[in-house]
Amino acid sequence: MSPMQKKIRWLHVNLFAKPADALLTLVVVPLLLWAVWAFLSWALTAADWSVVFNSLKVLMTGTFPSSKLWLVWIVAGMIAALAGLATSASIPFGRTAAVIAVLCYLVLVLAIFGAAHIAPQALLVLAAFHAAWLIGLRVPVLRENLAPIAFGTLIAVLVILSPVGPSNWGGLLLSILITLTAALLTIPLGILLAFGRQSKIASLRALCTGYIEVMRSVPLILVVFCIWVAFPLVLPKFPIPDVVRGLIGFTLFYSAYAAEFIRSGLQSVAKGQTEAAESLGLSDFDLKRIVILPQALRVAVPGLVGNILDIFNYAPLVFIIGLTDFLRAGQMILANPENSARTYEIYVFMFLTYFVVGSIITFQARRLEQKLNKGVRK
Amino acid sequence: MTVSNSLRWRRLRRTSVQVGVLGIAALLLVLLGLAVRNGFAERGVSFSFDFLWQRAGFEISEGRVLTWSGFTSFGADMANWQALAAGLGNTLKVAVVAVLLSTLLGVALGVSRLSTNWLIRKLAFTATEFLRNTPLLIQLTFWYVAVVLQLPGLRDAPHFWGAIISRQGLWLPRPEFTSGPGLWLALAAVVTLALMLMRRFQPWRRHLAGAGVALLALAFVLGFRIHLDLPEAGRFRASGGVAISPEFTALLIALTANTAAYIGEIIRGAIEAVPRGQWEAADAIGLSRRHQLREVILPQVFRVVMPSLGNQYLNLAKNTSLGIAIGYPDLFNVYGTVSNQTGRSLEGVLIAMGIYLVLSWVISLLVNVANNRLKIPGVR
Repeated sequence: MSPMQKKIRWLHVNLFAKPADALLTLVVVPLLLWAVWAFLSWALTAADWSVVFNSLKVLMTGTFPSSKLWLVWIVAGMIAALAGLATSASIPFGRTAAVIAVLCYLVLVLAIFGAAHIAPQALLVLAAFHAAWLIGLRVPVLRENLAPIAFGTLIAVLVILSPVGPSNWGGLLLSILITLTAALLTIPLGILLAFGRQSKIASLRALCTGYIEVMRSVPLILVVFCIWVAFPLVLPKFPIPDVVRGLIGFTLFYSAYAAEFIRSGLQSVAKGQTEAAESLGLSDFDLKRIVILPQALRVAVPGLVGNILDIFNYAPLVFIIGLTDFLRAGQMILANPENSARTYEIYVFMFLTYFVVGSIITFQARRLEQKLNKGVRK
Repeated sequence: MTVSNSLRWRRLRRTSVQVGVLGIAALLLVLLGLAVRNGFAERGVSFSFDFLWQRAGFEISEGRVLTWSGFTSFGADMANWQALAAGLGNTLKVAVVAVLLSTLLGVALGVSRLSTNWLIRKLAFTATEFLRNTPLLIQLTFWYVAVVLQLPGLRDAPHFWGAIISRQGLWLPRPEFTSGPGLWLALAAVVTLALMLMRRFQPWRRHLAGAGVALLALAFVLGFRIHLDLPEAGRFRASGGVAISPEFTALLIALTANTAAYIGEIIRGAIEAVPRGQWEAADAIGLSRRHQLREVILPQVFRVVMPSLGNQYLNLAKNTSLGIAIGYPDLFNVYGTVSNQTGRSLEGVLIAMGIYLVLSWVISLLVNVANNRLKIPGVR
């Protein structure tokens, strides 16, 4: 078959298999072309993207003091490096990766036209991501100890940012901080809750089950608000910053979901594993730590990554306790009468950012799933 | 140590652990309660639910309450609990409609992901990925700010078959029935015709159909008529017809689209899990693809997806609480107003949590009932 015939065959099978398909294709193609044309002509001519570039600082960091922005760049580099290390655990640096990297830099070069003053820092952040990716591939010790490194990074990030005061954290920075903190804290809590739900001690089991079920049947916004309201009542002497209260709410809520993913992992571990470990004389604690948990986490990890995506996607809910995250920052920019005509530009930018980050997390989850499934005997 | 002795020891240990766990939990609760009481005392108030029966003193933009004189719009003179009830009504209103629409749209999306047409497949995939990988909250505010509020104003709003679509809201024509004995006969006719659809009455369906038509004819003779109450555009709002607020519209669209993406994934997974032989067998007896799907595949799919769909319905019901972002007066929003007005945020949170818990249980219960109904008896 010649290449031409192959192409025609592809068209026939995929677009014109039946009269109905042909009709659908003929209707959809012009509509699609029209939509793409309308969007592109708007984006390239009518749209005024300067509003995005001018308010980049607010979108990314909220009310963070401008004189301390270099702290944010350090933090961005550290988080990028962490992301690179996480990437090295699931994706080898192959051709696809190189293409993605080049695309990232291209986007950056494009962005430089609009925001030249931040280009060097942005390049350094991207470079940190790639350096960590490559180093992680060379040094297996690093990527095998991702969890402690992530905890270390998180603590370092919080320490670096704390002099500025949590009430000044905002924008995308806040969304990412919430995601990172809640993601890391929910996993140990989830492990405890999942073991608690399977415990032999009936009262402990009932408590953990009750907690998980209640958290899973009320809305996140209510939990976050409740924690925010309750803290000043319970601890009137110690005022806790809004951000921390929000973080506690997110952690408490999502640890119930994490517990369910981990529980499904625990249930997938064959009973023979427990019996074998018991016959070796392992203590109950060692049995869980050495034998059960690693196997359970392997099953739970894709779900847990999905949980992280959920945390990121629901992070904008912190608007309810008066915090300015990425979405709220965008809305505040639109509330300025000067920008009232720029609704679509801001929304397109925000959608794009959320979509890119969300897709990266989904992609990582998928790769991780494939990688983890490789070693499993079915 | 004898065997019985060691067993006794073990039992003692177990009991003490149980008591210990319960004791610690109880202690924590008591400490929490004391702390809360101190917090309340410091503010000079006490923990009480009296505020529920006090006058609300605020208006909500939409919402009806059941009173002695039927459903009436909520007013500032009503009590706080009635405000919460109106909020719950709004939550239920948007949740029920969104559940129905998102199921339909989700099935369509799921089927489209497996279409024979490459374009449709890719389009459905892109839409699903986009809806799942961006926050629901930004979708919601986008629908509200960038779509619904950008509609033309009332004065130059387009009319479609009597419906008005404008920035100030949606007005649909409402069917109105003439009252009198004809109305009751017509109602009886509808009930009779509805009975026809039930499996138990299948043998008598002809008689039922005849009776229904006869009743309807009699009603017509007695002067029963349906006419449409068409909305008319005024200066700030339209009068007549069924009014739908822009907030409701935006929330409904956002919830429907978002949940449909998740439902679509579930349906696609379930369709792919149907054994190939089912497709081949349906093909072999000469069914067209549409009929293969409708008569053979989807009935099997619906039997297995109910629990997963139930999870999505639960999520949807909880996500209605995001309505506060655009000012839709759902339960959470009204609770926020009430707690602002009365300062009773903690008591209010407990009530709201209780209501959401009950709501979740009711949904799980309904899904379980549906699941048991759909199961083929005897099949695993």
